[in-house]
Amino acid sequence: MRKRLSLLLVCVLAFGLLGSSVALANKTVTVWAWDPAFNLYAMEEAAKIYNRTAPDVTIEIIETPWDDIQTRLTTAVMAGQTNSLPDIMLIQDNALMKNVIDFPGTFADLTNSGIDFNLFADFKVGLTSVDGKNYAVPFDNGAAISALRVDVLEQAGFTLADFTDITWSDFIAKGKVVLEKTGKPLLSIVAESPDLVMMCLQSAGTWLFDEDGEVFLANNEALKEVIRIYVELAKSGVMVQVNDWEQYISSFTRGTVAGTMNGCWIIGSIVQPEDQKGLWGVTNIPRLETVPNATNYSNQGGSSWVVRADSPNRDLAIDFLAKTFAGSVELYETILPSSGALATYLPAGDSQAYGVPHEYFGGQAIYADITQYAALVPQVKYGVYNYEARDAVGVAIAKVLAGLDIDSALREAEETVKFLMDF
Amino acid sequence: MAKPTSLKLHTKQNIVGWAFVIPASILIFTFFFYPIGKAFLLSFQTGFGANAQYAGLVNYKRLLSDNTFKTSLVNVLTFLVLQVPVMLLLALALAYTLNDHKLKFRALFRTALFLPCATSLVSYSIVFRSLFALDGFMNALLLNLNVIQSPINWLANPWTAKLVIMLALTWRWTGYNMIFFLSALQNIDRSIFEAAIIDGANGFNRFFKITIPMLKPIILLTAIMSTNGTLQLFDETVNITNGGPTNATLSISQYIYRLSFQYSPRFPYAAAMSFVVFVLVGILSAMQMRVGDKR
Amino acid sequence: MTRYKIGTFLKYLFLTIAAFVSVFPLLWMFISATNSSIDVLGGRLLPGSHLVTNFQNLTARANIPQAMWNSFRNAAVSTIASLIVCSVAGYGFEIYHDRGKDLLMRILLLSMMIPFAAIMIPLFMMVGNFNLLSTTTAFVLPSVATGFLIFLFRQSARYFPYELIEASRLDGLSELGIFIRMYVPVMRSTYATAAIITFMAGWNSYLWPLIIMQNADSRTMPLVLSNLIAGYVTDYGLLMLAVSISVLPTIAIFLLLQKSFAEGIIASAR
Repeated sequence: MRKRLSLLLVCVLAFGLLGSSVALANKTVTVWAWDPAFNLYAMEEAAKIYNRTAPDVTIEIIETPWDDIQTRLTTAVMAGQTNSLPDIMLIQDNALMKNVIDFPGTFADLTNSGIDFNLFADFKVGLTSVDGKNYAVPFDNGAAISALRVDVLEQAGFTLADFTDITWSDFIAKGKVVLEKTGKPLLSIVAESPDLVMMCLQSAGTWLFDEDGEVFLANNEALKEVIRIYVELAKSGVMVQVNDWEQYISSFTRGTVAGTMNGCWIIGSIVQPEDQKGLWGVTNIPRLETVPNATNYSNQGGSSWVVRADSPNRDLAIDFLAKTFAGSVELYETILPSSGALATYLPAGDSQAYGVPHEYFGGQAIYADITQYAALVPQVKYGVYNYEARDAVGVAIAKVLAGLDIDSALREAEETVKFLMDF
Repeated sequence: MAKPTSLKLHTKQNIVGWAFVIPASILIFTFFFYPIGKAFLLSFQTGFGANAQYAGLVNYKRLLSDNTFKTSLVNVLTFLVLQVPVMLLLALALAYTLNDHKLKFRALFRTALFLPCATSLVSYSIVFRSLFALDGFMNALLLNLNVIQSPINWLANPWTAKLVIMLALTWRWTGYNMIFFLSALQNIDRSIFEAAIIDGANGFNRFFKITIPMLKPIILLTAIMSTNGTLQLFDETVNITNGGPTNATLSISQYIYRLSFQYSPRFPYAAAMSFVVFVLVGILSAMQMRVGDKR
Repeated sequence: MTRYKIGTFLKYLFLTIAAFVSVFPLLWMFISATNSSIDVLGGRLLPGSHLVTNFQNLTARANIPQAMWNSFRNAAVSTIASLIVCSVAGYGFEIYHDRGKDLLMRILLLSMMIPFAAIMIPLFMMVGNFNLLSTTTAFVLPSVATGFLIFLFRQSARYFPYELIEASRLDGLSELGIFIRMYVPVMRSTYATAAIITFMAGWNSYLWPLIIMQNADSRTMPLVLSNLIAGYVTDYGLLMLAVSISVLPTIAIFLLLQKSFAEGIIASAR
């Protein structure tokens, strides 16, 4: 027994001497994440890279949808059984601040972990930090794109350049021409989904909450402008509303709609139909003209990695993330071509892999373009009550479309959110 | 001599009776009443974990001023009043028709009518949403039949969206309820029907004068089950309309889910809401029991 | 006679329409399993040539046999346990009814009105404290006894002819013996109904296995299905194949047990 123990000690010492920063043998780090084509694939590749220097560490990845991660996370924290949670979880940026603030002490503070957060896109660091502390390693890119059918634009006498760096009124005016000449709307949207509205708000560096975290709906001029644009898009027919996500996807894969605006991850759905190869182009989104500081750049969706604070593998998990997602350009070079997983790790943007022309988009180097957009996305804080406010805005839009004036609808929405915040 | 024996027999049967019902009762008390008791205590708190504080009736008072809660309550009560009676009558009529031994293809019809509740929620909600899309089958049909002049945006209008949900509920659960009636009909002596036929009662009379009274215990069961299912409605509204438009189809359960998992978690408040639903269903069921549970 | 014929015709017409409307989404689901994702969303109503591709993609994507087995084991164990516990109780509540038991029955009935979301966290704590996470036991325990099933057996016992019990007692059969030898066979149609709905509930159950089935090997079919729609891009052909597979056991159980709805059993018992 004693012999074995000393052998073990020698081994541990040897590992330490060999310079492995974390001297842990045969450890398993568990991970919850969703989407095998994207997040899980990236995680697997990261594990391969990490295993080169730490062959004894097993990264166990358990596929779990985002909604289910949230349900399990909430249940475990409420039940006081956080040991049922994995070491690393992927969290939607939309929900990150809520979880960090509502469940204090659950996620490891990564500020002084040695990870250099300056190497990530600004807006993403903004979304993953609370009170100046970093709680997550930024991962996938949700930079907003306007993806359009160049062939349809040409039929109406336009090029992609005519839709680049433009304003919303410009977009609607040109959209009407496209509709008239080709019969095709430029956009489709899931009815009552506030995604487009949120995207426009962020493009002007504003959100549903002000700097103090107070709800900011009724007097938010930018929001009013965005809803006016939404109504005009819908009434003019330039944007059609559909009932669900499936109909939204099929509206452009079947070609009944000539474009879409969303986070760049929507590319995965755009490139499905073989017969539209080469017909698409990607550009930035229109900007709000009456709002100060408005830009042509925004974000929609996206997620980041967090580490469980009370995990026995905490340091190992942080070391793993630091050497892969926050330190390996090679990782991002590997995952980009086969999954289109765009990162927000800026050093990777200089890589050659990002400059490769994309056939589906007529040879446009879309990844390089989108990485440029990501660097220009205004920083906002989504806040703790993000989902409450999103739902309220969704209801407000539906009421405005049904005839209620914007001011009353937003006043009602603000009251609803205030009610939900005031406990 | 006879009296003590029968008393003894009675005591013995009484003991056996309790022995029959005790195991299930213990399980229910452990896995339902103990946790709901905890939830009840929780409903008098605010905050959670280390921040939990006793707050008295605050959460219950809050319900009175919660417009979203009121909307969801009205929604589910609307479904209850309008949809449940139609569904149960339809299920009864179908069960009655399928119980006719002279009917051909009975097994085929029976299976077909049961299948909706076995169909996956994912696929049937896709089908329902596309049937009721602006350019969907329903509008095409009604336009062709000249019932409507322009397409209806079914899921964007509060009342038509409610109607779609009620159709979906009826579609999915009628066959399910029918199974209970069908199996109960097997327990009724067929000679009763045969006697009625000889007496010259027509199908309509037999249905209302014999079938319905004979099925009363099971009708009570399905009524309580449907009341409960409707007040706790979740799947259909989440998947078909996601509670929209403007919360017109939002159910209480979906609101509770949002408050627990999507929004900043408000478990004590959600617990208070759950408890109100619990009491409400309890009262409605007690009323149904009072009318229907007589031996 | 013609009136009768018109009536019969209307009856068959009504049943045929109802049957078609009922089956259509299921049919569409099976057809979609043979189509590509784009065709599924395009609303294609004809079988396609993608079945093999969808199957290959699905098996590469998820461990379907294991998830099917997990679901089946959980649902089957919970069905058998529930049927035994609840039918005994339901019979007891009706045959030996008195004021005390009637009151208890009403209290137990209240249990079916408890929203699951309200008791989920205390239940999770219990299961966690007993070290039962990711086990069939944890899955089954809360659903073995349900107010609803007890009530179903109690209501059905009301149709059970009391003369049969008294006759059996005179024959010297024990009380348990009467239940097993007389009640169980006579109430076959109720057992069949209960088995179908309990199996279906266990098979489709989502929220409970979601929070307790934590390791990848214990994942049930509904959890796997939710993985398939959680990505940025959903393959609807693959998804439809997966949901088609997932409904087969429920349908099989129904087909297996539905015969007991067809034959009057009481009559033959007398």
